[in-house]
Amino acid sequence: MSDQERRVEREAVLDAPLREVWEALTDERLLGEWLAQDAELDPVPGGAASFRFPDGEKRAGTVLEVEEESSLAFSWARRGEPESVVAFRLEPLNGRTRLIVIERGPALSPIAGPQWVARLHAFAAALAVVAA
Amino acid sequence: MPGGRIDAVFSALADPTRRRLVETLAGGSTVTASALAAELPISRQGVAKHLAALRRAHLVRAERVGRETRYRLDGAPLEDAAQWIARVGADWDERLDDLRRLLESGRR
Repeated sequence: MSDQERRVEREAVLDAPLREVWEALTDERLLGEWLAQDAELDPVPGGAASFRFPDGEKRAGTVLEVEEESSLAFSWARRGEPESVVAFRLEPLNGRTRLIVIERGPALSPIAGPQWVARLHAFAAALAVVAA
Repeated sequence: MPGGRIDAVFSALADPTRRRLVETLAGGSTVTASALAAELPISRQGVAKHLAALRRAHLVRAERVGRETRYRLDGAPLEDAAQWIARVGADWDERLDDLRRLLESGRR
């Protein structure tokens, strides 16, 4: 197995001033217009974040970083997955705004290689105990 | 994991030959049944039988490549990084389009 890093990065230049983009990232009503169907977000470090999506999925997490009009990071967890971290960075660009979003996913063990074998041996040992 | 599936995994891995097969596949590559038979002290038929048991337990996946059937460990329970990146990336593309529409429509 090669790289198991789970990381997605996107960049968008938005035709809106920094202030407006920042509001869209931190105002619950506005978040409900693009990020999720319903959003609750307390934009202070340690604040609660929770989202409900059109398909009914809910994700909850914690606000990790807030720098007014500059950066915002929070965690959330997809159903059945450990938490991942979403980080936004904003930069002014002549009246427009460059928005960078990076989501880093849970580092799961590779599906092959030494860890699989170790897990298999642990499993075999457990079986031996059950059989005994 | 439903109970029946756990039972299937248990019985599939209770056999030492099948554990060796899984260990061999854990190298990460896809292999044919013949290649596995060449590597292990069992017949081609024996390998096929054990692979069938591992497939029933969803531990091994078979893929047709041309005229061959190749086997690899089934990563479904863990899902590999490439799938995660594709899915999460598509989600962000869609959301950022929505954000752009919101900001540029003046509906704020």
